[in-house]
Amino acid sequence: MSAPRGGRGDWAALRAAIRETGVRRWAVVRAVLAGTMALGSAIGLAAVAAWLIAKAAQMPSPADVAIAATVVRFFGVSRGLFRYLERLASHDAALRGVVTLRERAYDRLARSGARTVLGLRRGDLVARLGADLDAIGDAVVRALIPLGVAAAVSAIAVAIVASLVPVAGLVLAVCLLLAGVVPAMLTARSARIAAVQGTLARAEVTTAALSAMDGATEHRVWGVSHEAADALQRADRDAEHAHELAARPAAWAAGAQALFSGIALVALVGLGVLAARAGDLDGPGAAVVALLPLAAFEAIGAVPAAVMQYFRSAAAAHRLAEMTGTIPGDQVDGGTGALPAAASSPLTLDALSAAWPGMTPTRPVTATVASGGVLAVIGRSGIGKTTLLTTIAGALEPAAGAATLGGRDVDAAMTGHAIAMTAEDAHVFGTSVMENLRVARGDVDEDAAWRALHLVGLEGWVRGLPDGIDTVLGPGGRSISGGERRRLLLARASLSPAPVHLIDEPAEHLDEEGSVALRAMVDAMRREGRTVVIVTHDHSLLDLADSVVSLDD
Amino acid sequence: MRPLDPRLIRRIGPARRHIVVTAGLGFLTALLILVQALLLARLLAPILSPTPLDSDGLGWWGRIVPEGARELSTGLAALAAVVALRAGVAWLQERLAHRAGVQVISQLREMVVAHVARLGPRWAAGGRTADVTTLVTRGLDDLLPYFVRYLPQLALAATVTPVMIVVVLGLDWLSAVIVVATLPLVPVFMVLVGLVTRERSARHLEAMQRLGTRTLDLVEGLPTLKALGRERGPAARVRALGDAQRHATMGSLRVAFLSGMVLELLTTLAVAIVAVTMGFRLIDGGIGIETALAVLVLAPEVYLPLRAVGTHFHASADGLAAADAAFSLVDEAPTHPRAVLGAAPDLRGARLDVSGLSVATPDGARLAPAGLSFAAAPGAITALRGPNGEGKSTALLALTGLLAPDAGHVAVGGVPVLRDDAAVELDGWLAQVAWVPQRPDLGVEGRTLSLGQRQRRALDRAFGSGRAVVLLDEPTSHLDRASRAEVIARMRSLADAGATVVVASHEPEVLAAADSVVLVTALATEGSS
Repeated sequence: MSAPRGGRGDWAALRAAIRETGVRRWAVVRAVLAGTMALGSAIGLAAVAAWLIAKAAQMPSPADVAIAATVVRFFGVSRGLFRYLERLASHDAALRGVVTLRERAYDRLARSGARTVLGLRRGDLVARLGADLDAIGDAVVRALIPLGVAAAVSAIAVAIVASLVPVAGLVLAVCLLLAGVVPAMLTARSARIAAVQGTLARAEVTTAALSAMDGATEHRVWGVSHEAADALQRADRDAEHAHELAARPAAWAAGAQALFSGIALVALVGLGVLAARAGDLDGPGAAVVALLPLAAFEAIGAVPAAVMQYFRSAAAAHRLAEMTGTIPGDQVDGGTGALPAAASSPLTLDALSAAWPGMTPTRPVTATVASGGVLAVIGRSGIGKTTLLTTIAGALEPAAGAATLGGRDVDAAMTGHAIAMTAEDAHVFGTSVMENLRVARGDVDEDAAWRALHLVGLEGWVRGLPDGIDTVLGPGGRSISGGERRRLLLARASLSPAPVHLIDEPAEHLDEEGSVALRAMVDAMRREGRTVVIVTHDHSLLDLADSVVSLDD
Repeated sequence: MRPLDPRLIRRIGPARRHIVVTAGLGFLTALLILVQALLLARLLAPILSPTPLDSDGLGWWGRIVPEGARELSTGLAALAAVVALRAGVAWLQERLAHRAGVQVISQLREMVVAHVARLGPRWAAGGRTADVTTLVTRGLDDLLPYFVRYLPQLALAATVTPVMIVVVLGLDWLSAVIVVATLPLVPVFMVLVGLVTRERSARHLEAMQRLGTRTLDLVEGLPTLKALGRERGPAARVRALGDAQRHATMGSLRVAFLSGMVLELLTTLAVAIVAVTMGFRLIDGGIGIETALAVLVLAPEVYLPLRAVGTHFHASADGLAAADAAFSLVDEAPTHPRAVLGAAPDLRGARLDVSGLSVATPDGARLAPAGLSFAAAPGAITALRGPNGEGKSTALLALTGLLAPDAGHVAVGGVPVLRDDAAVELDGWLAQVAWVPQRPDLGVEGRTLSLGQRQRRALDRAFGSGRAVVLLDEPTSHLDRASRAEVIARMRSLADAGATVVVASHEPEVLAAADSVVLVTALATEGSS
């Protein structure tokens, strides 16, 4: 989080994001027009009804008020109709925008350098491309369009009143402006307080609640359950206090809105009556001036909610920009498909040391693996094994030394093509077993798939599934255990066409039978002449490797 | 759907108090709206009437606002006072609603968390913890808009609307008839629209969720695709899924917004009809201008709270769903209530005899462990080994006493102390048992530590506790070779000092250090495939 919430950077990010949604100006204008017609109908109804009653009081012939009566009925119907049209138009525009933006964000991420993509945390990805994108769409529906409608409807109300009593028009304009701006400022203040204090307090509450639930059994054993409950209570009190601070300006905003619309009412009743008494205005005109404020403030009432939405959306746009903005110096994948290195080229690590920015670099390692060879990188947890692997994959610049494939320095263009990688948290997609294997290579046929499943000892399991190899996995489908998941990932790795494959902690979650499967798979890859690099803290895997390097001191 | 959960009123103090306060403020608002309307009628009637007003057009209600208010200065001063009061009520309402909202959320959260902690490990294994985590960290926040936006409008609908109908009836019965006749149409039409469109909207909703899940699945897998060089295809798929989702969403919105339209249509049309009817009666002299003005201003106020309730309907639905989820969870009783067998025996130097211990998996398909029998002697290390998922951790949990087995028992000195249906006093039992789970939680402070550090801290606590029985679940995972050797050495010295050490592990070094090794196996239950 570099820029402060609600700062200039956020607004710029939101503007850029909305531009990128490709929402057409006309779609927004159409929605604003429909909204203006809807709330304008309410004002029209109030004005014409007031005129009708006042005119009728002078006992004219019924024909004199016939048109007004028709217009009143029309406004009675048009409000609901136009409101319906406005909601459909605004949601359609926003949804189209979100779809476009999501595709572009996805595409940009996919094209951005391997370092950017592999550095992403999974939860972040889902939150940014899910909830945050929806929040940007909401900026159109709940902020942009209501603000446009409020401005247009207010202008109509002021024009009607000003045409009858110019001073009254001026007073109404000032009151509408204040009823819009003052609550907006107070709401913005509330949102800022909530963003700073509230976020911290909420994080504390989440931590305390999770600890109290996840650690419940442990707390019982050690007799510290009440301490966990107390910690949650303390965090809750802090969160309440933070919310209290944010709610204060919000309450003033609600009061201010009621106050300014009330002031307009008092002033316009006075001005209307005085103008009628002075003979400057007939009775019906005075009734319109006096009673219009009752309807004129409805649109402006949406301003605080719109401002809140703007804040939420701007923060979301900022986070999105932060994620999709390529890290400076990251090599952007030009999409050339990158040359797969010749199968016979050796992988060489020359005093290679790896680090993400700000991390202590790993101990330099030196090794050479001929194609078809197996290298094991061993080290205790937290020493930087995964970072080293990411560097060998070409996604991360070496902190020192070099990694070369066939004599060429590895780079981001090789990631996934010449050098594929199976991360510890690699994703199993919510699709069939078959499609999950095809993730490695699009043209895998069923025979090859079964061979790979057999290799990792999953054949029997898959045959036992309701739809066999076409069984859908994951949420909404068959759930899989940690061991099954790991083996499926190994089967997928074995199908990858890349000449070099890096596997992170392959034995994690595997029992003895699983370890046997792992060995079979590595042997198969070795026979195909593919180079395998595994990183692990499990020393029992070392006999698999032709050479071993250690990251431990 | 009920607009108000009775459990909120019965069981959550701040909610109960706030509902009473909100109702009170609702009545105050109704009164202020009434006075404002009558003042407007008083102020405007003199300039609109062709002849001087000779009678009181407000009838009985004239007592609230006397004829003196026709005087501009008097009337305006009174109107200003009403306006100031309404602003004050708006401020107070918002202020109190926020306060009550967060207090209710805190209380519900603490209630749920405390209850989940009581439900114990068997419930936690049931796979619903993720939902509950979402509920207490985010879901309950939906109650805030419910309290701040929806509830006040509900109170107004319950106060302002009936008050206004009574007033209009007192002023002009014909207008009251129009209003009362249209009011029931609102719920009738909304229910009709709901019934006609129910199937369609359910289908759209289902499609929306399915497409949403699939899109997020592709998003989640992006790093994996990148690592395999297969990241370029799915953008088009993301687009196609998004477009399909948009179609489904718009389909459901077209239907969902219909009920909103019906609500707005009926309410504004009714106001228009009241106005037009009064207009023609004014020409006939059938109604006075002062009366007509009061009714004209009051008529929309009858419907305003109803419209607002409709607008904030979603706030209500989400908030009540969150409250309902919380209450249903809290009302869930522990699945295995156990009787108390008396005080816990002294475990120092005692042998634990486990016999026929079986625990069913949450889905009931397997017993893991199944029929586990072994003896854990004092002064010795007993290791439980076996493949993943066969019930090693579960067996240790049963030994803590916090998980009731489905069959079998643990005995001390030949007397069963932990059975499926009964157990000795757990506080006394737990005070003598140390347990280190696979992912130890050391309270809020522990959350800042890495898994390896936490593991070490938790082991230190267990080794230094001096408790008679020490249960260790995979104590060497997340540790390097040197630390592992140290853990094994400390286990040994603990046993040598007379403690009963039971360790679950598949590390060869740990098994080699054990005095006896027990194989834990699972079994598919009869009737499951």
